[in-house]
Amino acid sequence: MNTNKNDKFNATTQVEDGTCTVYLRGELDLSVAPDFRQVMEPLVEDGELDLVINLKDLKYIDSTGIGILLSILKARHGMSAQFLVREVPAQIQKLFDMTGIAKFFASQENPQ
Amino acid sequence: MKDEVQRVILHLPATADYVDIVRLNLYGIASKMGFSYEDIEDMKVAVSEACNNSVLYAYKQEDGTVEVTFEVKPDSLSITVKDEGESFDSWDKTDDRVTLHDKNLDDAQIGGLGFYLMQALMDDVSVVSEAGKGTKVVLIRNLARSEEKV
Repeated sequence: MNTNKNDKFNATTQVEDGTCTVYLRGELDLSVAPDFRQVMEPLVEDGELDLVINLKDLKYIDSTGIGILLSILKARHGMSAQFLVREVPAQIQKLFDMTGIAKFFASQENPQ
Repeated sequence: MKDEVQRVILHLPATADYVDIVRLNLYGIASKMGFSYEDIEDMKVAVSEACNNSVLYAYKQEDGTVEVTFEVKPDSLSITVKDEGESFDSWDKTDDRVTLHDKNLDDAQIGGLGFYLMQALMDDVSVVSEAGKGTKVVLIRNLARSEEKV
């Protein structure tokens, strides 16, 4: 099917004062997972930047999307680089809590 | 009150591009039935995870079809996701340690979370998988009785 994926999901990046913020919009599911990985890969590898994902306009995420966030957490942790999520909608926070990924985000907020 | 079951059946290509079509249909049917916004969001995740598994594991690289049946009952919605591909072993229901709660980041893996989410978000989940005959996942969510609705 020839869908317009930009309507369904898009990620826009803004770099300011050493922080890279990626704004996600729409539905992050299996069908757009490769696009999201592609956007994130160079950003994740850049240890000089603090990395933030803003989820304010994200309407939906599935376990594929949560899996990508987990892989980013791992990669950034391995580099001792920051990775934060901001403005998480209630429904998505619920999934973060249920799956247990929430605690990894929380520990990023309060590094020991 | 009618006790009969009303069915809506979708046949979709087993590709990731069509999973959102299932969600759109689910939204329409569940909202018509009077499910809350939060209930519908829960069901969207559960149904998508079932479809994802058919898309990812049932047909490998070959073309296949997923059949999604919505059964509208007076007090519940049952959603059956059925494929005719290879059955998958990826959903190991005996392993209840799939969530990340008791893991540290180095040991954390995402495998199994889809199945966990289905179970956590629905009232009843059953998976029947038979070698060579595909997999059928049945998800049931009960309609909460509201005092205000008559």
